[in-house]
Amino acid sequence: MKGFDIMAILLNAEFGKMLLEGVRMTLIIALGSWLLAMTLAVVLLVVRLTPSRIAERVVTAYISYHQNVPTLVQLMLWYFGISSLMPEAVQGWLGEHNGEAVYAVIGLGLCQAAYFSEDLRSGLRSIAPGQAEAARALGHSYVGAMRHVLMPQAVRNALPALVNHSVSLFKNSSLAMAIGVAELTHAVKEVESLSFRTFEAYLLATVMYLVVSLLIMFAGAWLARRAAIVGAR
Amino acid sequence: MNSVFEILRDNWLLLLVGQYPNGPLGGIACTLILSVLGIVLAFPLSVLLALARLSHWRLLNWPAGALVYIVRGVPLLMVILWVYFLVPLLIGRNVTGFVTMLCTLVIYEGAYLAEVVRAGIEALPKGQMEAARSLGHSHLGAMRLVILPQALFNMLPSMLSQFVSTIKETTLGYVINVPELTFAANQINNQLLTKPFQVFFILAVIYYVLCWSLTRAATALERRIEAKRAGPRATVAEIRAAGLVQPVAAEP
Amino acid sequence: MIVFSNVNKWYGHYQALADINAEVRKGEVVVVCGPSGSGKSTLIRTVNRLEEIKSGELLFEGQNVHAPMSSTELNRLRSRIGFVFQSFNLFPHLSALDNVMLSPMHVAGVKRGDARDKAMQLLDRVGLAAKAMSYPAQLSGGQQQRVAIARALAMEPPAMLFDEPTSALDPEMVGEVLAVMRSLAKDGMTMMCVTHEMGFAREVADRVWFMDAGRILESAEPETFFRNPQHPRAQRFLSDLRSH
Repeated sequence: MKGFDIMAILLNAEFGKMLLEGVRMTLIIALGSWLLAMTLAVVLLVVRLTPSRIAERVVTAYISYHQNVPTLVQLMLWYFGISSLMPEAVQGWLGEHNGEAVYAVIGLGLCQAAYFSEDLRSGLRSIAPGQAEAARALGHSYVGAMRHVLMPQAVRNALPALVNHSVSLFKNSSLAMAIGVAELTHAVKEVESLSFRTFEAYLLATVMYLVVSLLIMFAGAWLARRAAIVGAR
Repeated sequence: MNSVFEILRDNWLLLLVGQYPNGPLGGIACTLILSVLGIVLAFPLSVLLALARLSHWRLLNWPAGALVYIVRGVPLLMVILWVYFLVPLLIGRNVTGFVTMLCTLVIYEGAYLAEVVRAGIEALPKGQMEAARSLGHSHLGAMRLVILPQALFNMLPSMLSQFVSTIKETTLGYVINVPELTFAANQINNQLLTKPFQVFFILAVIYYVLCWSLTRAATALERRIEAKRAGPRATVAEIRAAGLVQPVAAEP
Repeated sequence: MIVFSNVNKWYGHYQALADINAEVRKGEVVVVCGPSGSGKSTLIRTVNRLEEIKSGELLFEGQNVHAPMSSTELNRLRSRIGFVFQSFNLFPHLSALDNVMLSPMHVAGVKRGDARDKAMQLLDRVGLAAKAMSYPAQLSGGQQQRVAIARALAMEPPAMLFDEPTSALDPEMVGEVLAVMRSLAKDGMTMMCVTHEMGFAREVADRVWFMDAGRILESAEPETFFRNPQHPRAQRFLSDLRSH
């Protein structure tokens, strides 16, 4: 085994480029699926709060499916399974426009939406019941009470869980490798097989993942401090 | 729908036990064995890590904390790649994908379980440790006889759901050719080629049934533990019998 | 202003309110008292429909509170009835000033500047102008309840309901809240108060309703009620109170 030489990778233009591409892909997938997941989570929550029992059953089924089927299997179902059911035109377009990444974002986004939605729901349920009553007694509409009184508190309560699940989402971007997306883990494996510097390549990738994970966690802690309800113990 | 039943009928053995006996044990059997072994072996590691994290000695506290943070901050796939690379180096010979996956799960789950155990210990009232120490037990003795038994019992539902997570994590063995269920399903798909949706649909359903039933069991267990902790409560009939509620006019 | 006609409420076999027939006239201060579980809180919560009734009619300013109506109508009705809770229920993520300003702005459509001015006035009226920027967790119980009263007053309701406003307070803070309520009464506000504070009742109330087991057993002027209760249960209740 050659001596430890991380510069062999960092300075090599080709390897550096591959890794950078990998990082870029990872960030695109992570960000794209996060946005999709958050938006969908709010939609799911709103649907669930309607008085319709069918709506509740549908949302519960959605969450149950996405929490019990492994994420990798979900991605496979999307990329190998559902893609084959798509009309020819769509399949063709996707094939040319980085279809794997699209399916990765959709699969990961839909999956994490279930977790985010549950976090928000727990956040809502942990609010003292008197709050909703006070808002109603003052004459606020349902929407008004949600907007001004309940959701602000729910999001604050749910923040730690949301941050944790955001880190999970970021880590899950590596699963996209199994359906052929050239994200960071995939890039690292390529660099490793070309340069034979397994240890250095893995170390670089690990550090990059760790840095971003820790950044997300610190950002979350900072956000929690800033948004914290003043004076609360 | 018919094709789903056809595929199941033709391939159920492959899904259940993989290529066995013409190859290593695979399919659902492999998945379950991997998960059970993974969590059983991770458990003692997690207890040690939790105790280390709770200890006041920085020599124990920091490395344990660092290990937990690193493992939790890195994707499982990266941990698999590391283990795949390091284990043969450390023990001097090649290992099967199964062993690699097992080591990965032990480390990964060990770190996550450590946090579960730590939470369980911290959730106990301080009075427990104080009482044990006042009776003369050493710190470790109190842990072994008083704290851990209670904490672990209370954390059973969380541990059950970590087991469910472990089952879901075994799917990554696919990437290093561990012959577990997901790998088996991909084999079927590569043979058939024309029915990918049905194959992966079956795969999803199998995992769903498996994980959902275990999650239900965990919830039921949690409810029973909560009931035990709340203590006995009088029923409505008993309250009425004690004459504490005035009978009222019948419903008009 | 508030008229109860044959109001009844039951859950299964349990009768929470039985044949309530009573009226709170404009400018009147009514105190509702009685032992725990007598239905006093339930009664006051039916007025702004935080509780439903099973039969009978409840009129507020001539409008049937429990008639089927759209949520918009109900919200408008509720904004005309001020409600003060036992547990204050201030919104913890907003300052005292924001708590008071919120509903005029978003329910009554008042402009921000006007809402702010009115809110400062009201906080001043309850003696808390200096605490306008403080958050609920930074205020004592008595201060929180006074902000809650200001918050209810901000909607300019013709009537105020108080559900055991001082029961959750430490004894030394009860006085400051009662003082605010007393000044409201003096200014002619129509008030319905569920309370254990008998001194307040004697001083400020125009009528006292004594409740037990979901019924109003006695309704009289405070002096009459306290000196010469008619109903045996009222007599027992008052003697229990005195023996402390």
